[in-house]
Amino acid sequence: MKLIIENLNKKYDKNEVLKDINFTFEEGKIYGLIGRNGAGKTTLFNSINEDIDIDSGKFFLEDEYGKNTLNIKDIGYVISTPTVPEFLTGKEFLSFFLEINKDKIKDMKTINEYFDMVQISKEEQDKLLKEYSHGMKNKMQMLINIISSPKIILLDEPLTSLDVVVQEDMKKLLKSIKKDHIIIFSTHILELALDLCDEIVILNNKNLELIKKKNLNTKKYKDKIIDSLRDEEHV
Amino acid sequence: MFNVLRMSLKIDINYAINSFIYTLKKAPIFKDLFVDDSLYKSHKAKSIIRVLAIILSSFRIIFYKCIYISILYIISHYLNSKNTVNTFIHIYVLLTILGMFVNNKLLSPSTKKYFSIVLFNMDAKKFFKSDLFIEIIPSFIVNFITISILINVKIALLLSLFAFLSRIIGEAFNIWYYKKYKYLVISNLVLYWTLLFIVLGLCCLPFINIYFTYKYLLLLVLLFIPLMLISYYYINKVNDYKLIYKKLNTLNTVIDSDSRKGYDRQNIVEVKNKDKYINNKKIKGKKGYDLFNTIFFERHKEILLRSAKNFSLIIFVVIIGSIFFIKGNEKIAKGINYAILNRLSWAVIIMYFINRGSILTQAMFYNCDHSMLTFNFYREPKVILNLFKKRLITIIKVNLMPAIVMSIGVVVLLYLSGGSTNIINYITIPIFILSLSVFFSVHYLVIYYLLQPYNKYMKIKSLTYTLVLSLTYIFSYSLTKLVMSSLIFSIIGVLSTIAYVLLSLLVVYRFAPITFKIR
Repeated sequence: MKLIIENLNKKYDKNEVLKDINFTFEEGKIYGLIGRNGAGKTTLFNSINEDIDIDSGKFFLEDEYGKNTLNIKDIGYVISTPTVPEFLTGKEFLSFFLEINKDKIKDMKTINEYFDMVQISKEEQDKLLKEYSHGMKNKMQMLINIISSPKIILLDEPLTSLDVVVQEDMKKLLKSIKKDHIIIFSTHILELALDLCDEIVILNNKNLELIKKKNLNTKKYKDKIIDSLRDEEHV
Repeated sequence: MFNVLRMSLKIDINYAINSFIYTLKKAPIFKDLFVDDSLYKSHKAKSIIRVLAIILSSFRIIFYKCIYISILYIISHYLNSKNTVNTFIHIYVLLTILGMFVNNKLLSPSTKKYFSIVLFNMDAKKFFKSDLFIEIIPSFIVNFITISILINVKIALLLSLFAFLSRIIGEAFNIWYYKKYKYLVISNLVLYWTLLFIVLGLCCLPFINIYFTYKYLLLLVLLFIPLMLISYYYINKVNDYKLIYKKLNTLNTVIDSDSRKGYDRQNIVEVKNKDKYINNKKIKGKKGYDLFNTIFFERHKEILLRSAKNFSLIIFVVIIGSIFFIKGNEKIAKGINYAILNRLSWAVIIMYFINRGSILTQAMFYNCDHSMLTFNFYREPKVILNLFKKRLITIIKVNLMPAIVMSIGVVVLLYLSGGSTNIINYITIPIFILSLSVFFSVHYLVIYYLLQPYNKYMKIKSLTYTLVLSLTYIFSYSLTKLVMSSLIFSIIGVLSTIAYVLLSLLVVYRFAPITFKIR
């Protein structure tokens, strides 16, 4: 399975953010998307997820049955500002979600098992989402995206607000599901990307560029990524 | 579809129940009773509240529909008392047609749609259809019963059937329009106002005995039946509801705004382009918080001064108009003279409406304090009080502009309408109006500093603040009924304003350093 981006262009007024992007993401890999502040990472995600209108370009999903235009049903998007229905408790939220999607979820677990996955205690389950911390809301958002298991998972800075223990668990979880998914993970934290991701893609000069590791050790690879990002200043 | 409908209702009801429990927990008396979150999971308590919620919400639908139909009926009676029924049919049909195009409830952005479609991943088409049925079926029943009672069963059946059909046609039209133009009819303001203007104009026709009669209604219903079938076919044929909902309910429209109100509020207080540039002369020689405050008010000049100027102009026009009336008609002159001398209490509600205090405090919070309060240096008592003082003076100045126009106007009107035997009235009445303006300016700023009600998303979090605002309105409104010599009323008014201002300033100086913080 492949996510293919063809000739993607996006401008905000006169400001060109994404310019003629052609890129292919493959199944079974976690891609770390790195870019400087304002480089357009969220714009890229929003474009793929059809949250914004693009100026031109196409997205395709290619699998053993052929190449088809990407359908938003195949995308799960975890946004950096978690937005959840605040006047439902965590438990209600999850049980509604499971009930609504029961036909689509494979190997459904119990509510408690799901809560255990993200380590939300019994007491916290009965609290209103309104009273959840940013990190906890994020966990809920991640959880439902993992449960619904879409083919493509876009994660916009999702781990930054989680505590270290949950961060580790989430990393394990993402690694365990990557086999059947295309996971694109945007972050500012290079160490996190290097630790979790199989490939590093930088959004630089309005375009995507895969940074190949080849035979470099971590230190040299890191320098190479930073150098590539720095390049932008001289363009 | 029924599954989606059931889930959608279930979520709605749970949402309502939890909001109710949450409000209860924040209310002054109850908050000590429910300290933990056990109530949210208590099935017994929830099932009781669930029944109440269902009863209340059904009652609300019935109530609004009944009120709508009754008001139309009353208007019809006034428009043409000899032909009330035909007039009613006429207006009802026209407004229903208008509603077909401009009632976008099903597609308008809302948090619920965002959560249901984007987060819960509900089947968007089924969601749309269930939303449609939940809208039209109860409507049909209530319309039918209400109109049956008011007119007769035959007309009731035809009219409610007409509303039923046109709703489906209207929704299909709205989807078609959105798919074609990428925006809703209601967003095209020229089209919207033109439609509104035409329909409201046509609604007045019964006044000259032209109306849409029963026969035409029957024809229209017959015409609408096949149209509805085509529309329903179209609704079923469209397959990209998820995309339509997603485009209309983007995160930006949903985020930090539970309702459109929150979003609109932010727009109201947004710094206008015109004010982004500040004339250097205005800030020359200013330093520290003095400069800070000046910059703040210069950046909000458009928001503040525009409304103050507009109100001043409106008051001016009303006064000039009144002068003409006074000159032309002695009866009106006497009425105005009596009103000024005995019903000065009206000035309170007028000043209540023209005071910009509440919008100003919102702007202060959203564009300034919201971020500044996260810095400790900004929360030092000295800084808070210093800035409070500067802000108070500026707010008073801004609000005094329309107040001055009004006080001069009232004095002129008093003189021209026959004057007063007691010359002191010429002094106390304008002073009272000015003091009212000061009162409201102080009032809004004081409650803002004492209760700081907003959270970082501009939502009002303090129930006490809402209560105080409502009480302010109730108090201002209740005074309108009062008949009292304006001399006594204004003296009492001025004295109590002075007392209130002094007292509240004392309280602010004592407590604001503690209460003024982010919630």
